[in-house]
Amino acid sequence: MGGGYLDSDIKELMDYIESSSFVEFELEREGFKIKLVKKTAVPTDGLMAPALVPAQAAAPAGPVAAAGPDARQAAAGPPDAHTIKSPIVGTFYRSSSPSSRPFVEVGDRIKKGQVLCVVEAMKLMNEIESECDGEVLEALVANGQPVEYGEPLFRVRLAAPA
Amino acid sequence: MFRKILIANRGEIALRIIWACRELGIQTVAVYSTADADSLHVKFADEDVCIGPPRNIDSYLNISAVIAAAEITDADAIHPGYGFLAESAHFAEVCEACKIKFIGPSPNVIRLMGDKARARETVLAAGVPILPGTRGTVQDDEEAMRRAVKIGFPVIIKAAAGGGGRGMRVVNAPEGLSPGLSAARTEANAAFGVPDVYIEKYLKSPRHIEFQILGDSFGNIVCLGERECSIQRRHQKILEESPSTALSPKLRRRMAESALKVARTVGYQNAGTVEMLLDEDGRYYFMEMNTRIQVEHPVTEMVTGIDMIKEQIKIAAGVSLAFRQEDIQSVGHAIECRINAEDPETFAPSPGKITTFHLPGGPGVRVDTAAHPECVIPPYYDSMIAKLITRGNNRMEAISRMRRSLDVMVVEGIRTNLPLQRRILRDPDFIRGNLDTGFLERLLGLKGAAVAAS
Repeated sequence: MGGGYLDSDIKELMDYIESSSFVEFELEREGFKIKLVKKTAVPTDGLMAPALVPAQAAAPAGPVAAAGPDARQAAAGPPDAHTIKSPIVGTFYRSSSPSSRPFVEVGDRIKKGQVLCVVEAMKLMNEIESECDGEVLEALVANGQPVEYGEPLFRVRLAAPA
Repeated sequence: MFRKILIANRGEIALRIIWACRELGIQTVAVYSTADADSLHVKFADEDVCIGPPRNIDSYLNISAVIAAAEITDADAIHPGYGFLAESAHFAEVCEACKIKFIGPSPNVIRLMGDKARARETVLAAGVPILPGTRGTVQDDEEAMRRAVKIGFPVIIKAAAGGGGRGMRVVNAPEGLSPGLSAARTEANAAFGVPDVYIEKYLKSPRHIEFQILGDSFGNIVCLGERECSIQRRHQKILEESPSTALSPKLRRRMAESALKVARTVGYQNAGTVEMLLDEDGRYYFMEMNTRIQVEHPVTEMVTGIDMIKEQIKIAAGVSLAFRQEDIQSVGHAIECRINAEDPETFAPSPGKITTFHLPGGPGVRVDTAAHPECVIPPYYDSMIAKLITRGNNRMEAISRMRRSLDVMVVEGIRTNLPLQRRILRDPDFIRGNLDTGFLERLLGLKGAAVAAS
């Protein structure tokens, strides 16, 4: 695995996060990506157990893997889960500027029309709005990463119809 | 040289550009619409980016999506292929502004040659013959009649914003002018939103002959000979060959010199084609210049041995041409048949899944295609699925190779124009080289005069 991370390194990292005040931790290096989310940060089921995601190990050429956007489809979630996909190609940002807070965090309740992120294309910041009411289950793309048309960005649990 | 090229196209030309990049050691980025996710250009490029849904306007014609794809993959140049954004001066300008090299001529030259009236003026000033016609558009019927009489009937009325044969009317005698004008204006307005028309001399049975130009960034411009493209249906070329049977060495030199003059006048860089009409008396006229690589470039490659896509890339990277005019030799004869997914009789498009796909091979046979067994020809794009090219030491050998190739090429699951191509290759007029733009309509037994290609 790229970067020479050992299981013991990861164990150490997990222990550190466990004892820290962070609820979510993400690290990405070439060919390697890790995301740790504390159980306490996930409201209900144990869906977000610490996950180790091999990041496109087969595609050293660049950020965009060879299989098209759907290949990176998130694992099947609960039946009421909905995937919000990128309507354009560009660079994904979770906040409006490097210093500001993300538009949404995992666990946030969101409304239809609420801005979830921006995708930059040709120096234009395109605000991506939620197409439904619900709750953010997972952010699928790391800040600053390139996204394709149709690439899954967030998984959302749909709000029960009123 | 470039490190990474993004290919803003699909189908066989995207693959053709990938092959050239591989030979030059350049990385490639494919862009694709969701309809093309399984296509070969996506599989064989080093990287790929989905840029939108199937509609052209949302994907392959979507300038910001193509540029964003180049930015996220860090491509240093874009090859536009043909069609789509290849002749968009605006796209070439956006590339320039984004510091991405557009592999083609400068935006100014694309714009100049795209404006048919300005192109005519420029070429005329350079001393190259153009068809007699009105300078600019005609406003009222009286003025139109005066000019038409001066030009001499038959004349053709064309839409100023034209293309694709719409807004065109052939008028054989004075009494037909007024109805022809109103019909052409209505059609032009419906098709392009502009009713303006102009009048040109109409040639009954001209040949369509075009000259291939290459120009580098040091002012070196060469001509790679001609292509005979008279076999057309509704301005769509069906079969092309090089050299043309109509040209004596002397006429070829004169026409090539005119084509070079056009290119020099505008300081042409990269690959371009000067299209001309040749009448029965051996007079020729500039028609237009295409500022891109053309579908039929392989016939020129097969007789000159020059890889035109690699030349385009090298020129764009600032490399000077490695050959002079006197080094270029055309040897043998080459023919290209365009194989389209369409009904051979009604010409209706025939998209769908190809179940059986067998390609010919052997000496002197080349196939440029992105189709394969089990592939789906989507309904959204061009119907051309393959280009079959043969080369022989002479025209008859190229013809026999094309015949045997067409006879063993099998495409099942969709309909193709293979039967039509087989007919053309056995037609006595074709074999004699007796061609003009009315050839195909005569072969098909269609009534009514063919409209001259433009």
